[in-house]
Amino acid sequence: MSAPYMVEAAPQVQEKQAVTKMSVAARLRRDWPLMLMCVPAMLLLALFHYLPALGNVIAFQDYNPFAGDSPLQAFLSSEWIGFGNFQYLFETPAFWDSVRNTLGITAFQLVFYFPVPILLAMLMNSILSPRLRSFAQSVVYLPHFFSWVLVVSLFQMMLGGAGLIAQTARDAGFTAPDFMTNPDTFYFLITSQAIWKDAGWGMIVFLAALAAIDPNLYEAAAADGAGRWRRFWHVTLPGLRPVIVLLLILRLGDALNVGFEQFYLQREAVGRDASEVLDTYVYYQGITVQQWGVGAAAGLFKALVGLLLILGANKVAHKLGEQGIYSKS
Amino acid sequence: MGASTSRRTFLGLAGLGVASTAGLGALGGCSKKPSSTGGATNAEQAAGVVPTFKDSNLIPPDIKGIRPMADGYAKYPANLVDAITEKAITSGKPVTATTPWWGPAPPASNRYVEAVGADLGGTITFSVQDGNTYGDKLNTMLGARDVPDLTCIPGWEINKLARFSDGVHVLFEDLTPYLAGDKANPYPRLAGLDTAAWKDSVWGGKLMGVPFPTDSPFPTALFIRRDVAEQRGIAAPTSLDSLYEFGRKFTNPDKGEWAFGDIFQEVLQICGNTGSQNGWARGADGKVYHRYETEQYKRAVEWMARIYSEKLIHPDLASSKGGDVVTLFKGGKIFSYASGLGSWKETQREMTRQGKGFDMQAVKVFGADASTPPVRWGGSPSIMWTFIKKGLGKDRVEELLRVLDYTAAPFGTKEYELQNYGVEGTHFTRDANGAPKTNDAFTKEFANQFIFLGGRPAVVVSDPDLPHYAQDLVGWGNDATKYLEKNPWEGIKVEVPSEQAAIQQPTDDKITDILRGRTPLSDFDKVIGQWRAGGGDKARDFYAKVLADNGR
Repeated sequence: MSAPYMVEAAPQVQEKQAVTKMSVAARLRRDWPLMLMCVPAMLLLALFHYLPALGNVIAFQDYNPFAGDSPLQAFLSSEWIGFGNFQYLFETPAFWDSVRNTLGITAFQLVFYFPVPILLAMLMNSILSPRLRSFAQSVVYLPHFFSWVLVVSLFQMMLGGAGLIAQTARDAGFTAPDFMTNPDTFYFLITSQAIWKDAGWGMIVFLAALAAIDPNLYEAAAADGAGRWRRFWHVTLPGLRPVIVLLLILRLGDALNVGFEQFYLQREAVGRDASEVLDTYVYYQGITVQQWGVGAAAGLFKALVGLLLILGANKVAHKLGEQGIYSKS
Repeated sequence: MGASTSRRTFLGLAGLGVASTAGLGALGGCSKKPSSTGGATNAEQAAGVVPTFKDSNLIPPDIKGIRPMADGYAKYPANLVDAITEKAITSGKPVTATTPWWGPAPPASNRYVEAVGADLGGTITFSVQDGNTYGDKLNTMLGARDVPDLTCIPGWEINKLARFSDGVHVLFEDLTPYLAGDKANPYPRLAGLDTAAWKDSVWGGKLMGVPFPTDSPFPTALFIRRDVAEQRGIAAPTSLDSLYEFGRKFTNPDKGEWAFGDIFQEVLQICGNTGSQNGWARGADGKVYHRYETEQYKRAVEWMARIYSEKLIHPDLASSKGGDVVTLFKGGKIFSYASGLGSWKETQREMTRQGKGFDMQAVKVFGADASTPPVRWGGSPSIMWTFIKKGLGKDRVEELLRVLDYTAAPFGTKEYELQNYGVEGTHFTRDANGAPKTNDAFTKEFANQFIFLGGRPAVVVSDPDLPHYAQDLVGWGNDATKYLEKNPWEGIKVEVPSEQAAIQQPTDDKITDILRGRTPLSDFDKVIGQWRAGGGDKARDFYAKVLADNGR
């Protein structure tokens, strides 16, 4: 280590010691308005996230909601069976089928769904008339508020065997294609449904990031003779990168969460092999047959895998010089 | 269930320490798989705790039903009896109740509910829940042990409720001390409910709920559009072959027309499959078998797979759970579907009012061919139950039982009319024959609130819009009764162990794959083999043991 570095570092060390030396009471006195402002949010978290999370103990129980004298007692009175629920899960091939499907869908959508909101945001951003832009924006993110039942029946009316495309094809003398019941193209079907429903919604964050890019950069780049493509590559993309990385990490954490309704509704149409995901597995093998402990165990498994993926992805992001979702200060 | 209950309760709080040390050990080494052991209420126990039957019917029926089919009434009675003159509610305390409804929620300020409440002598506060998600609501309510005075639970939801056989005794009042034998005398209308339905209301040897007796035991019927069939000169099906012909003639994709909805449940019965006890039955040799293992089942699967591959079923119904079969049927997009008999009256009435000659009929029961007689499945004698909250005290329980006695008033009483049609002038007017004709205010405010509460002697009544309904339905049912499956487990509440319940869905999925042509028919035997190994054989032993334990 070189001498100048030491000189630079010395005051920092002193300051750090000063912070630790400051008594808790003193810090409280200094920060209490800030802490007070945090209280409602903390209460909300404690009440609706941390407290219910305690219910996860049933993953280690043969849970019976009617044991003991009260619902709370039921958690204490149900029989403890250690890792029995997990063992049951991990020994069932159907569970791994559903994990494989879920991961497959996540991977597919990472490639074919994730970039769509980014592209859409850039398209939107290039509309100059503010009125036209806000109108187009509303149109593309409205479907986010539709339920899956509606989205699936809409696709059915368009692409189904009795739908618009099939009927037009028949009228023209062709055999009607049926996209809705083909297990081989199911990934495409659900991804297009997801894009139609949620791409507009996902666009909002990227639009905000785009708005934060300094227009001077574009002007300067243009003045230096950079074309449309160079400006995109050297100004827009670097500006979006932190947000893209952040959302990518969060998406990875959600890798085992691909939704329930969409798959539940279309299960019979394409069969279990194509459509069973973790959430439908939990529904059919946990809830409908009253194996609540098994359902909770699957939920814990999901959360644990999600946590590991987030931590891992965040680490990789740090290595690549990105900020990630948090950084060690 | 006794053994498993004590096994579950002995650990308690101390278990926390045990489990956390056990958890550190090898996964699986110290752990035990989750298990609900299943159970069955002894049928003989049920006999002693039900009310002594006293017929409460007032009017002789126009069409006598062959039991378990209910009686039919083609004409509305000219003079109604005021059966209950004393007020049921005497404490002045409002009664809370939760019921399901498959339609828009009725308004909270409700003249229909108020009118019946006034006749009862108090207020009834209903929480009407969406019937399609009722099971989820119940699971939460029951799990939190937060139930109203009266809780209505349909039979098909009970199988989805976690540990209901434990929960029923924790949450609800044992009605045996109030209703067993002659103790039911103060409640003559409750004593007039069918004894088989009462026996069906016994959990763990105790009378736990008030039943809603079924008006017909048949879970499904095959409906066709008779008007269109006659117009096009296509005969109603009488065999599996003619059903296929029926399908071919009606399917015309160019016009947006397909013959069928999903009719698999009907095809199973046409081919002679068993189904009253989840498909389990006892053969002539006394051995327990499942319909999966029979030639009849294979035949039904084969036929159905052909129907799917030749695309005789409407594509919307093949592609999503959200497909609405009744709307397609009403709209003339399909011409035959299988459904519960309950949908007959509702569908036909709505279409009759539009006045386009719409005529739907249940097809006379037929077998696959001349040598194969059909089998008709029988449902349970009670469709749903109303339970009284536990620990309200003797006086309150008796008061609530009087309310349920009121709601069990038979056809031909003023109380029955008020609960079924509302207030004359507000909710209905009378036609020339004196029969009530309901209006829009009725449609808005009526959600079967009181009907679902406390049974009623089941009857089939024609409607001014459907003058032949009672004849048609009771006539169909009386014929179908000839083929009613004899269920050896009848009257026993069988709770299937969860491991065996868990094998059902994967097997159904694989059979659906065959039906839809995703896997070849030749895989069928393999699927059944997997089912046997995965829990099917254990389930056979379980069902056989239940029979043996009950001395059958």
